Amino acid sequence: MFTSLAKRLTLGVGAAMVAGTIACGSGPATAQTVITYADWQLAQDIWGRSLREAFAEFEKQNPGIKINVEPVALAQRDIKFATAIRAGAGPDVFALDANPVKQYIAEGWVKDLTPFVDKEGGKKFLSDFYPRSLEPVTENGKVYGIPKNIVAMVMVYNEVMFKEAGITKVPETWDEFRVAMKKLTKATTAGGPIDQWGWTIVAAQAGFDLRSSVILRGFGADFLTPDWKKSALDTPQAKEAFKFIVDTIHEDKTMPPGVAQVDANAARRLLANKKTAVKIGTTWSLPEVSGMNPALDGWNVLKMAHIPQKKLDDKSVRSTLYQKSLFMNPNTKNPEAAWKLIKFMSDPPQMAKWFDDNLMLSARQSVNVSHKPITSSPYALTVAQEINRSAFLPLIPKWPEILETFRRNLQDAIAKSKTPDEALTNAHNQINAILARP
Amino acid sequence: MTKTHDIGDVSNDGTGTMRDNYKGYLFILPALLMLVVILGFPALAAFLQSFNLMWVAKPGFSLGAYRALVDDAEFLHSLFNTVVFVVVVVSSHLVVGLSIALLLNMDIKFKWMWRVVAILPWTMPDVIGGLVWRFMFDTLPGIVNSVLLRTHLTTEPVDWLGQPGLAFFAVILAESWRGYPYVMLILLAGLQSIPRQQYEAAELDGCSALQKFMYVTMPNLKHMFIISLVLDTVWESRLFGMVYSMTGGGPGYSSQILTLLSYKQYFQFFNVSYGAAMAVVLATVLFFISLPYLRLSMRQQI
Repeated sequence: MFTSLAKRLTLGVGAAMVAGTIACGSGPATAQTVITYADWQLAQDIWGRSLREAFAEFEKQNPGIKINVEPVALAQRDIKFATAIRAGAGPDVFALDANPVKQYIAEGWVKDLTPFVDKEGGKKFLSDFYPRSLEPVTENGKVYGIPKNIVAMVMVYNEVMFKEAGITKVPETWDEFRVAMKKLTKATTAGGPIDQWGWTIVAAQAGFDLRSSVILRGFGADFLTPDWKKSALDTPQAKEAFKFIVDTIHEDKTMPPGVAQVDANAARRLLANKKTAVKIGTTWSLPEVSGMNPALDGWNVLKMAHIPQKKLDDKSVRSTLYQKSLFMNPNTKNPEAAWKLIKFMSDPPQMAKWFDDNLMLSARQSVNVSHKPITSSPYALTVAQEINRSAFLPLIPKWPEILETFRRNLQDAIAKSKTPDEALTNAHNQINAILARP
Repeated sequence: MTKTHDIGDVSNDGTGTMRDNYKGYLFILPALLMLVVILGFPALAAFLQSFNLMWVAKPGFSLGAYRALVDDAEFLHSLFNTVVFVVVVVSSHLVVGLSIALLLNMDIKFKWMWRVVAILPWTMPDVIGGLVWRFMFDTLPGIVNSVLLRTHLTTEPVDWLGQPGLAFFAVILAESWRGYPYVMLILLAGLQSIPRQQYEAAELDGCSALQKFMYVTMPNLKHMFIISLVLDTVWESRLFGMVYSMTGGGPGYSSQILTLLSYKQYFQFFNVSYGAAMAVVLATVLFFISLPYLRLSMRQQI
């Protein structure tokens, strides 16, 4: 009886496996190589469309390779990638911004691309990329990723709202900025409650790094010492920057209430709906904000300016660099096909397309100086100028923990649980403790 | 005469033959394997990771993660928050769950419909529940502020999720709403199993409604109460999605509970040993909390 049951089970399972194999379409009939590409920008309309168009072109040029796309939410990106790669799986090719790259390299979650780069010409191949763009993706002389885009954070503002508020000069110092924000904060209906504010910072986690760091840097401060070994939050400039944020919220009230919950998307939405007139952003803000509210006429109304400073004659770093790079999974079964895709995506034509579609500057110098839409764009000009006054956030594995410690303490100061000085001292001590850990 | 056995055949004493017992094990083997793979393996992996033995950049036995926990103010603060959160939420679940279970146990019209309505919050995934409540408490477009402003109960929008006390209160309120049906269902099952004769006898003795509740209902619900208390405590201690999607543990560290801190350390900071050590500590505490339930279940089985 048991033997017969086992036979039946074996036959059933076997039949199911055969059926499954046929249904999946695998087998010798199809010789196509399938690789997976994961990117948080796939989850957003405008960027996602642009990427899919690029993949269609790649598949046309490489008929033997098919790309499966895997959109991933930005907040879930590292969890998903880290878990999958640890388990021996994960996408063949994926995109990362600069922040977590050093952790990925330290953990062995990205493949060393040096042999592929060498085949393409080594140093000659890399010479077209901005030297700074190679910093996040290089470790001990090995190249782990290929830079795609690099931009600096700037001030994005609504020119019409500025004019309506009587602001004729774009603020260049924080004092001018503060005055302008007060002028912009008002009730749009006579006798009604205040329903328009000057600006907002991003105090929630998503997007905090790029947007809040520029205030610190604009005051001449920074998170860490230049060697990234100690906290630099005990400087008078850091105290001034920290107090500036808190004062604009509580004293000037030039930010909408609920700033602790404002993330990058919420800040865009506020600008799109004319609830605020200014945000910290960069070239991507234009398509994103315009897409959220076409009635705003963002492409004509929104302008870009440099990050304000404490003193005009200060020539030090005042903004933060953002970079998107492409990486290969060490578990990939198709490294050659994966490299083809990375190279295709970072070749000049695709870099140019990425600007045409999304206003994102290329990490290749040749594209930025020769692609007409870039050279004739005032936005690109502002951002390119700001790149020279920008720096990456610390490229160390402990950076995400340091950033979160700073953010939590800033939230405490915003919530008045601590005074700005207490919160900053707390952040300083906690960050030093993190850095002192082995 | 030799007696042959087939599947389902048991001997007269009800114990079955050795061969039948093996067949029984064979049938539960797939479920057992699934349990081992889905629950056992991650638990073992977390345990090994907490001692720096698995899936870490430089493996090697270390108690460092556990030692660090003792001096970590953020861990102790999150532990305190977890205790407050669990005590308040579980208490509210017991009070609200029992109240609604008593109502649904009465002879009311459309009883089935009220039961469906009462169970609805439980059908909502905690992350979705958190997002819904987050929108409700949003400072500008949120319905809570909208009602308060329109009824002139406040002149300025309240920053519900931006103030430490209010944010923690909001999270507790949201989870109290979402989780009560679980307790309610257990207690309702308990109420329905109380023999009607006991109430009839109490009525004959002239007991008031309160006396019937105190001396008939409550003693009969004792076991169900313990089960609800233990299971809900375990459930709420390991809650993640509701708090994560509502406040992310903020502002500052004000609504951060242990599961969030463990997640943060593990997935955001990649301090895998440290994050795993927190998870192991939490699991150990929950194991001891669940002992009364296990004892009760085993006693009932015996």
